[in-house]
Amino acid sequence: MTPAQQRRVRDLFEQAVDRDGSAAAAWVAGEAADDPLVRDEVLALLDHHSRAGNFLSHPIVERMPALLADEPYARGAVVGPYVIERELGRGGMGRVYLARDERLGRTVALKVLAPALVGDPSQRERLRREARAAAALTHPGICTVYALDEIDGELAIASEFVDGITLREEMGSGPHDPVEATATARDLAAALASAHARGIVHRDLKPENVMRTRDGRLKILDFGLAQIAQPTGAELRAAALTRTGVLLGTPAYMAPEQLRHELVDARADVFAFGVVMYEYACGVHPLRADRADAIPGTLGEVVARCLREVPAERFGSAADIVDALDRAPAAPASVRWWRTHQLAVAGLYAAAAVLAWQIKEWREVPLTVASFLALGAASTAGGVLRGHWVFTERMNRRRLDAERRRTRAATRLVDLFAGALLFADGVLIASVRALPAVAAFALALGIVLAALVLEPATTAAAFGEER
Amino acid sequence: MADVPSRLDADALAPLVYHELRRLAAAYMKRERPGQTLQATALVHEAYLRLADAGAPWHDKRHFVGIAARSMRQILVERARARGAQKRWAALDRVTLTDALAVAAQEEAMLPALDEAMERLEQVDAELARIVDLRFFAGLSIEETADAMRLSPATVKRRWALARAWLHRELGGDA
Repeated sequence: MTPAQQRRVRDLFEQAVDRDGSAAAAWVAGEAADDPLVRDEVLALLDHHSRAGNFLSHPIVERMPALLADEPYARGAVVGPYVIERELGRGGMGRVYLARDERLGRTVALKVLAPALVGDPSQRERLRREARAAAALTHPGICTVYALDEIDGELAIASEFVDGITLREEMGSGPHDPVEATATARDLAAALASAHARGIVHRDLKPENVMRTRDGRLKILDFGLAQIAQPTGAELRAAALTRTGVLLGTPAYMAPEQLRHELVDARADVFAFGVVMYEYACGVHPLRADRADAIPGTLGEVVARCLREVPAERFGSAADIVDALDRAPAAPASVRWWRTHQLAVAGLYAAAAVLAWQIKEWREVPLTVASFLALGAASTAGGVLRGHWVFTERMNRRRLDAERRRTRAATRLVDLFAGALLFADGVLIASVRALPAVAAFALALGIVLAALVLEPATTAAAFGEER
Repeated sequence: MADVPSRLDADALAPLVYHELRRLAAAYMKRERPGQTLQATALVHEAYLRLADAGAPWHDKRHFVGIAARSMRQILVERARARGAQKRWAALDRVTLTDALAVAAQEEAMLPALDEAMERLEQVDAELARIVDLRFFAGLSIEETADAMRLSPATVKRRWALARAWLHRELGGDA
């Protein structure tokens, strides 16, 4: 369309816009009969004008404070005594930055609270009180609060910077076996217990608030701060009426009494702990779980009791959870069976190596020498792989799944190869040494059965189905 | 028209206006009370008063308002982009257009798309784009817009209707 046509569209639109719908269309059709392009454009715009409704009718700038107020600080920005390095994340309470405290030269996590949360002086006071209480917690499993600073009217909480991943990210890798889940549960409960002993309740325990440091320890974040971000009952009702409000807390992890806005105590944390651990062990939130998602053993009983609807039926505090978990055996019977199985297979391989040596002594033909060498190599490989699995299970449990996936195919191959060699050796010596031949057949059968039948069964019992 | 800012002016002055608006907005959020809504023009006016003494290179308030409106568009679009608005944006649909609350929620999501449509509108008719900047992004009334653009209120009203219809079509309002 040429500029002249554009101008004509504008003029015709402006003259037609105040007319009645059908009259306007007829008028435009008459006026622009010579130029269908212009006529159609004006008619289309008139049509959109009639359907535009509220479109652009409320100036966006009225919502600008909300848009602007959560403007992040850039790298190098100076906030009081802190220099911002980068943003770590943002949540209902505000943004969290990695920053450097210039006074002490240390790195901190700086949480700058959303202005909307701290506008009210009484809420500010409550936040100060909570931060003071949280600062008193010095458990290694709880992220330490260093300071609460008021900077240019904004409130900022400086705390220990925890370098690691959240439990939510750790859960992304799927369900965790009972032994690992129990170890995690024990660490988490012990940290919670130290806060409960001081009368401090977290109120917003969830996988996003628990970090796993690079050296494998757990740290709970944001202790005692959740109450600030909690909307009041009136705000909740208003939000329900207008449908614009969003729950600031995390209902998926809240105890029933907390959702009803009743007074909560440590038992609300116990409930949240139950939800978190259920999700950690099963890979699915308990509300979305079906009957098949059950945690075996003591941890299962502990989690079930944490998740009771009535607070009085749960553990009184996290310390009771620690006690209950400590009464459980270090490893469930299924895992002890698995270890026994692995060691037994390693034993079979040792016997096979000895037998191969004897066979070589008994029949000095080139074929048996080659067979001895091959069987010796296979036995060593099979035995070492079993030893590697048991070692990983005992010493570096979190790697076990990955290590087994990595070496499973090779192990199967070695097992079948060794079984075939033993069988061939048995055939070779059957005419001269009947009894050792039977032993070779028995070992071949034992190794192959252990690999193909027993191993999948004991592994599934100990760690869940093969993934 | 001398009081319509050039792109260069706006780009050079945007950081100044941006900083002031951010500060004012944050201060406003801190004293916000339920039921109170921000007067958009008050925000612009306050920013103008604060910056007027700073020796900034605009001629008068009209000039400033034009720059501020364009700066606000830049600020808001950047913010909406940073918040991932583009990913959520599909197109306007007629059901939500009838619901004022949903419109408010949708408008933030559509800002990047609106900004692109505004660039096209500038090519077609720069004056229409200025009217949208003043009305939608700076929150000026028909009369204030007319004053800032030295047009009659009736003309502004009709051109505002044209600009809305044009953008409504660009943003897929016939979906």
